[in-house]
Amino acid sequence: MLVVRDLVKKYGNFIAVDHLNMEVERGQIFGFIGPNGAGKTTTMKIIATLLAPTSGRVTVDGIDVFKEPIKAREKIGYMPDFFGVYDNLKVMEYLDFYGSAYGVEYRERRRIAEELLELVDLSDKKDAYVDTLSRGMKQRLCLARCLIHNPELLILDEPASGMDPRARAEIKAILKELKRMGKTILISSHILPEMAEICDSVGIIDRGRLVVQGSVEQIMQRMTGRIVVRIRVLRDMDRAISLLKEQPMVTGVVEEDQELEVACNGSEEDLWQLLRVLVSSDVPVVSFRQMEGNLEQIFMEVTSDEEMAL
Amino acid sequence: MKRWLYNPVLASSLKTRMRGWRAAAAVTAYLGVMLFIAYIFFQINLQSYMSISSGRSVGLRVYLMLAILQFALILLITPAQTAGVISSEREMQTLDLLLCTKMSPFSIIIGKLLSSLAFILLLIISSIPLFSLVFLFGGIAPEDIAMLFLFYIITAFAVGSIGIFYSVLFKRTVVSTVVSYITIFFLGIVSVILGVYLMSIHYSQIPRPSDYYVPLIFYINPAIGLSDLLFRQAGVTAPNAYYGILAWLFGVGLGSGSPQGWFQSLPLWIANSVVMSGIAVLLLCASTWLIRPYKRLGRKS
Repeated sequence: MLVVRDLVKKYGNFIAVDHLNMEVERGQIFGFIGPNGAGKTTTMKIIATLLAPTSGRVTVDGIDVFKEPIKAREKIGYMPDFFGVYDNLKVMEYLDFYGSAYGVEYRERRRIAEELLELVDLSDKKDAYVDTLSRGMKQRLCLARCLIHNPELLILDEPASGMDPRARAEIKAILKELKRMGKTILISSHILPEMAEICDSVGIIDRGRLVVQGSVEQIMQRMTGRIVVRIRVLRDMDRAISLLKEQPMVTGVVEEDQELEVACNGSEEDLWQLLRVLVSSDVPVVSFRQMEGNLEQIFMEVTSDEEMAL
Repeated sequence: MKRWLYNPVLASSLKTRMRGWRAAAAVTAYLGVMLFIAYIFFQINLQSYMSISSGRSVGLRVYLMLAILQFALILLITPAQTAGVISSEREMQTLDLLLCTKMSPFSIIIGKLLSSLAFILLLIISSIPLFSLVFLFGGIAPEDIAMLFLFYIITAFAVGSIGIFYSVLFKRTVVSTVVSYITIFFLGIVSVILGVYLMSIHYSQIPRPSDYYVPLIFYINPAIGLSDLLFRQAGVTAPNAYYGILAWLFGVGLGSGSPQGWFQSLPLWIANSVVMSGIAVLLLCASTWLIRPYKRLGRKS
């Protein structure tokens, strides 16, 4: 759906985007992670046809966004990292205005606007002035705005920034619904655990370069070469530790909160072997679970800038 | 409405501009100012001239006063209406959202300009009853008023384009508004002083002037066009009436030659309108160029 090839954006001597390559499959949610100033917004603005690159190529559904920006805009819904709302318009008028700016016919855009307001749970606010809405509502309205022309690719720049947990959860639920509707979503955020939860794939960008790209699990394995499992045993903690340390795939064992956090290389097959060793040695294992990807840790390792804002 | 005629920015701006009490209050205040000054003028003129002047003379004076007053108000109001249209979109962070729709930068600029001009047109139309007072006295034909209003619209178009250009050029509305007013001041006053200075230099080199000289800078001053138009309507038929008045006021020699070429043969107000419209079109094109996202397209591959 989205292909970015060798994208470069320079401002004088400063390289904002440095030979960036990425691909997003149709129907996927792709998380774009990076510290502030890494080039996320620049890349997204280039894809959204708002900024010309120094070099490189971006295609959306096979359409070159620089050669045919108007055609590409039909496919793209862009939501910047700020609200961008007219305070003297009502909610319905706001959506109607953008619908008309995208050339959607009057009846069609009224119908779509009604549906979108339902999707973002703002149906009861359609006659309210935009400036009377709460921050979370405005954010949801902006999400509805970028869907008014029924785009296939959504570019969402920090959609959850500054939101309270409830508003974040609402946005997350809407994104999941959009994925179910078949939309392809490119989303940037610095709230890493959330990205791991909703994204199919993730790309980590640092100093304009895409350092790593893949599914959350793939990135975990590729970057650290380890799987982390948490094991809880009833007793014989010391014997369990010595048994685990004997196993060749185990790279580290840490005792934490009456549980063992075990780092190991290898596949899930190796995990099964590990469990079998413990059980066959009569270690009373009551819990054995693979940890969710600690993306934040990987992010820190990859970007290696201690002062970055997370 | 046909789709190619439909401008979403214009439609939305018209709707929001006329919403609430502000637009009605603005029209009321505008007419109130004009009416107040016209009343004072009437009082003075009716007392001092009615007995000795003909009705036509009073009618003409009232017309000139209203025409100049309305012109000054248009010059004051138009920059305020236009100098923030794009910069305020930037300030509200909605410009990017507009630019990534299917609307072209040109249609965004035109939509913004037309919505401002529509408001100025509303003010002009609402002043028609006030102007109709002139017909009580006679001396001015309806077509004179129509011509005057046409000149107002051209002036508003030119001044509005200046405001729009600055609102594209400067990020902050305050800066673009101030610079717009400075430019209008330059066009209205400094250009006259500069023009007269050029004329005095021109004629000081020729002891017995016989050529027809209009400094180019006069063509960009809408006030000079208005003066020319009003002098014509008042019955001063010299082709360079305003120039003659200036020459008399500032003590420079009076050119007695004939206009050279088709452009100089045009009435000054028409030549002035053509030049101002041309500059306005150039400014609108420049504004369009400046806001389009790909203006710095420097792809190497």
